[in-house]
Amino acid sequence: MDFLIHHLLRNSAARYPDKEALVHGTRRLTYREVADGCASVASGLRAAGMQRGDRVGIYLDPSVEQVLSIFSVSQAGGVYVPINSVLVPDQVAHIARDCGMKALITTPDKLEMLLPALHDVSSLQFFVITSKSNGHAPTDIKVDSTPVHRFEEMLRSPVEGSLPDWGISLDLAAILYTSGSTGKPKGVMLSHANVMAGSTIVSTYLEISQRDRILAVLPFSFDAGMNQLMTAFQQAATIVLIKFVFAKEIIDALLSEHITGLAGVPTVWSLLANGGILKHGFPELRYVTNTGGAMPQAVLKVLREALPTTKIFLMYGLTEAFRSTYLPPEELDRRPTSMGKAIPDTEILVLNERGARCQPAEVGELVHRGPTVSMGYWGNPEATDRVLKPSPLLPPELGDCEKVCYSGDLVKMDEDGFLYYVGRRDTMIKSSGYRISPTEVEEVLFQTGRIRQAAAIGIPDEVLGQTIKAFIVAKDGTPLDCDAILDFCVERMPRHMVPKRLEIMNELPKTSSGKVDYPALRRREGL
Amino acid sequence: MAIGKAKNWVNGVSESNDAISRIREFVLQKFPLARKRKVENSDNLLESGVIDSLGVLELVAFLQQEFGVAISDDDLTPENFKNIECMAQFVESMLEPQPGAIE
Repeated sequence: MDFLIHHLLRNSAARYPDKEALVHGTRRLTYREVADGCASVASGLRAAGMQRGDRVGIYLDPSVEQVLSIFSVSQAGGVYVPINSVLVPDQVAHIARDCGMKALITTPDKLEMLLPALHDVSSLQFFVITSKSNGHAPTDIKVDSTPVHRFEEMLRSPVEGSLPDWGISLDLAAILYTSGSTGKPKGVMLSHANVMAGSTIVSTYLEISQRDRILAVLPFSFDAGMNQLMTAFQQAATIVLIKFVFAKEIIDALLSEHITGLAGVPTVWSLLANGGILKHGFPELRYVTNTGGAMPQAVLKVLREALPTTKIFLMYGLTEAFRSTYLPPEELDRRPTSMGKAIPDTEILVLNERGARCQPAEVGELVHRGPTVSMGYWGNPEATDRVLKPSPLLPPELGDCEKVCYSGDLVKMDEDGFLYYVGRRDTMIKSSGYRISPTEVEEVLFQTGRIRQAAAIGIPDEVLGQTIKAFIVAKDGTPLDCDAILDFCVERMPRHMVPKRLEIMNELPKTSSGKVDYPALRRREGL
Repeated sequence: MAIGKAKNWVNGVSESNDAISRIREFVLQKFPLARKRKVENSDNLLESGVIDSLGVLELVAFLQQEFGVAISDDDLTPENFKNIECMAQFVESMLEPQPGAIE
């Protein structure tokens, strides 16, 4: 019986040992090779001191080692914490501190860059480093007293029989860090059961089978990206990893790797639509899925022209509930702006302020009920209680044994039950598929020491969904140099968080209680 | 270091150097990380993450407008965009009187 994430791999390896499982550049691994590699690394992790439930960070670019790490940590009985490789050291350190990270798997170069930021993370007991990109083993990483293990050596760890499992499906499997409307990123806790349910549900409606070859362009730190990997291994499909800058690189991979499935965020589709997708035929591409924001209608038009035989699925999900809705491709003509209906085995409610169901066309909050509702935020029960609550629609006799997820997304439903996105209930910004908290951006602006007040808002953008505009007020009326402030920002946050525009003001608009009046700033921008 | 080809066909101004400085100015102004790292004209901007996939699109829009060239998606390759020198050479090749006469 499959009830833990690595069982998906074990099962597929038993059924299709010689089938191609994982491709990255010139490296091609069969299911047997992936399963054997994971068993060895899992055994190596346990030998290094890993205990049940330990959190292990994975800070790697798309690579064979990254995929092996995810399943190895599960097999070793731990919790994997995938970290987007675009994050800067301070953000990685926040995640490590917040989740009490015991071990971190990364490259020698990245570790060197991270060490100054990690010095006060006392939970870290060991590092695992992969080979350098040139294939040379790392030599001289100096880490005070923290042991550094080599991934290559772990791959050679002896495995006697099968490693006994320590956990059950209700145990924590992964923590995905994501931002809300305030504060630093929070860790969304997913159980093995959550991840497996997401994988089963999505592979059902996408009809994924062992004949599929899936191209992974989304990071595995992103719920949809991770789900792609899980569905692939669950169904014994092949997953191909790439890192890209140019649309051509994706197009070349689609063609040369005979890709049948591709998941993207709106920016990926915009790149492809502007990058020559119309010049090629993709008869093998069976389906594509969009998530992480609405697909611009102009881009959708190009995609439909370029991919006449490909099924296009518009999806919606939030990390706290993993995956929520999809629009069946046959509805695309009639409702191209809809986010669809609930995924299988899931109920999506649109509730008004009183907790009652909205009428058609009435705007309310999207509330998700189903097996992918996460376990909440790691170490933050107050924030969890604001998002995961007992369902107001269930009979009180049931008690609050089941929680539903309040998304914070405002939506409306048409007469036929199809959903349409309206906006956010709070100030959270979404750009290029990333959730960004205004306070995180504002905090970095304050760190310049030159700013008295700051407020960041999202400005609609055709390609990115939103871009960030920040309003700043100088300390003591000293003149501000916007270029210098942006220079400061780029070192302390990844590109998607850096404001696109700065506007200097004498004073920010305030509410009667003295807080920054964000709606007034949005109105100022005509929003 | 020696930069591109020195062609004196616009009022005696070296077109390569002119293209380099115009592109450089745009890169430094548009990509704060380039400014912060004080990138050289020969530094790889793609591998270092200074310019990502969306940054390339901004560059394309700039080059088309600034130099009046039409850039097709076949031209969107790392060879043409990896550093400021390559971008300048690429634009210059498009400005050649005989199209396709790339040295």
